[in-house]
Amino acid sequence: MKGLDRISIRGRLTLLYVGLLSLVLILYAGGASAFLLRNLREQLDHRLNADVETLEGLFAWDGPGRVRPMTENLDEDARDLRPHLLEVWSATSSVLYRSPQLGKDDLGPAPTPNGVPAHVGARSIRLSDGTRVRIVGRRHSIEGIPVRIRVGLSEEPLWREFWQMASTLAIGLPVALLLIGGTGYVVARRALRPLDAMATRAEKITAEKLAERLPIANPNDELGHLGRVFNETLGRLERSFEQLRRFTADASHELRTPLTAIRSVGEVSLQRTGDADYYRDIVGSMLEEANRLTKLVDSLLTMSRADAGRIPLQPTEFCVLDLAMEAASIIEVLAEEKDQTMTIDGDAQVVIRGDRLILRQALINLLDNAVKYSPKGGRVEVRAGAKNGEAFVDVQDSGPGIPAKHRPHVFDRFYRVDKSRSRREGGAGLGLSISQWAVEAHGGSIELDCDHGPGCRFRMRIPIGPDANQKSREKTS
Amino acid sequence: MQILVIEDEPKVGKALQEGLQAEDYEVTLAPTGEEGFFLASSQSFDMIVLDLLLPGRDGLEVLGALRKKGMCIPVLVLTAKDALEDRVAGLDAGADDYLVKPFAFPELSARIRALLRRGRPESPEPVRVDTLEIDLHTRAVSRDGHKIDLTAREFDLLEFLVRYKGRVVSREMLAREVWKEASRATPIDNVIDVHVARLRRKIDDPYQRKLVHTVRGVGFTVREDE
Repeated sequence: MKGLDRISIRGRLTLLYVGLLSLVLILYAGGASAFLLRNLREQLDHRLNADVETLEGLFAWDGPGRVRPMTENLDEDARDLRPHLLEVWSATSSVLYRSPQLGKDDLGPAPTPNGVPAHVGARSIRLSDGTRVRIVGRRHSIEGIPVRIRVGLSEEPLWREFWQMASTLAIGLPVALLLIGGTGYVVARRALRPLDAMATRAEKITAEKLAERLPIANPNDELGHLGRVFNETLGRLERSFEQLRRFTADASHELRTPLTAIRSVGEVSLQRTGDADYYRDIVGSMLEEANRLTKLVDSLLTMSRADAGRIPLQPTEFCVLDLAMEAASIIEVLAEEKDQTMTIDGDAQVVIRGDRLILRQALINLLDNAVKYSPKGGRVEVRAGAKNGEAFVDVQDSGPGIPAKHRPHVFDRFYRVDKSRSRREGGAGLGLSISQWAVEAHGGSIELDCDHGPGCRFRMRIPIGPDANQKSREKTS
Repeated sequence: MQILVIEDEPKVGKALQEGLQAEDYEVTLAPTGEEGFFLASSQSFDMIVLDLLLPGRDGLEVLGALRKKGMCIPVLVLTAKDALEDRVAGLDAGADDYLVKPFAFPELSARIRALLRRGRPESPEPVRVDTLEIDLHTRAVSRDGHKIDLTAREFDLLEFLVRYKGRVVSREMLAREVWKEASRATPIDNVIDVHVARLRRKIDDPYQRKLVHTVRGVGFTVREDE
């Protein structure tokens, strides 16, 4: 089968059905020939049996130990009895008569004295000159003395007829196969032609030209299906390439900001002379930027490891309300500084299984944003509970809300609703992406809801139950 | 105290050397794994600071070779690869502690002191800074004899700063040790700053001599002088 792999599909298809067809045709021809041979023999036997009855009556004794056929007396109707080969045996197995045409041949060995049935079935023998002869034997009595008569007829005309038919079949078969094979090849090639077109086009698609799509001749057949699947894959590939490109561009942009600050602060300070305090201040300022770079690089690393599924979760069981209170206890000082009220309430019975540190990080990001975007004296409300088999934590702020056109993008990396403002406050636009990853890694989801009153509400949803872990593994893998 | 620093990046090596010398350590710098291994096996050091990514002989190889020779000198591994596997590999090869690059110098200094102190009784915690008195058992704080009320978090923060008296503590160390937040990607620097400001308001503002100082770009320190 190895060699078949080198042949094209249409070649293989053609070979396959030519092979199958040959088998069928050969079986058919064989069957037909065997049937014909049997029929012809039956006809011959029938004739022999009829003739033997006529011939029996023609023998007469021609002296002791000899009989003679009275063929001279045959009338015109019986002339066709002449080509028959005859043999007459006595009861003691001596030859009483043998047709002169037989020469030295005989029509088989001597019959055994007894036990020979009255009627012996027809059989075929071969004479010394190669002629095949059909023989019928029969018990008879001539003038009261029992003898056995054998009558034979040449099978040559029968075989001639058989071979004629067999050779007709043998010549017709390859011609038919050739015709069918050729047609099959053409049909297969035509059916597979869209595949060639797809392959040619696919060869031209590279990372730079992912916008190209495969041509689809007929969307309903198998090749169309293949093409559609391929095109969908290309679409996903194009989107992730685009994401990657944007991510790289955004990341280098974000890195450039602190780098620029470090450079210009350093360069400017070297152009003038100051005292130790001045330089200390300059170095401190540069270190602040270096810290920003460190945080940014760490966030990027977290994201890329999360993308690669390389952050292993360390699940424990805990109460969501406890998690909310813990995260809030860290962030609430920021709210206090802005005279905001942070309230936490919820159902203390809801327990989930997950990586507490990672989920806490996700919630801290949400709370940090809520405080950041709520006005002085505003409110931040945290609610934890369960609904439809899922635990949830809501973080509702009292900020200006998010304009509708920005809403679909808030979880995108580096996306900022208000670019100048967020950078001033030190965010790189990765917090929500990291939160989203953390929640999705637990099989949950995170969503933004701006329709309920002023401000916006982020809801983290985590499945409860033993399958929470299972789902999260599927998502991250 | 003799420290061998095996680090190929000249700037980082020099900075480590100068920084540790300023803390009264004797520092030998080895720029390659081979040289580091040679020095470590021919001279006697109190500890080794080892970079993992070295030209020629990899840091883990050097570490493995040293441990094979039966040297049980403490080793602090520096690694740029923030991956759990590397940490595990490093600790398996016999590292006593590890630090992920980029790290803050105060943190390195704290880890080195912790490693050198290992096995010896810890020096008694300072409970008095200038006129500030801290009772670690009752968690009571007073200055000039006046009782000061601190929240639990403020007390933990003060205790940590005082434990590193005279040295700088980075925000990263505070985030990890006081807030138990391991990821540097989580934005709690503002939270730390607010707590430090509140702590100052309680223990420094009413008094002439200030104890808590900000070191710009690095972190905070508690000092008696000034």
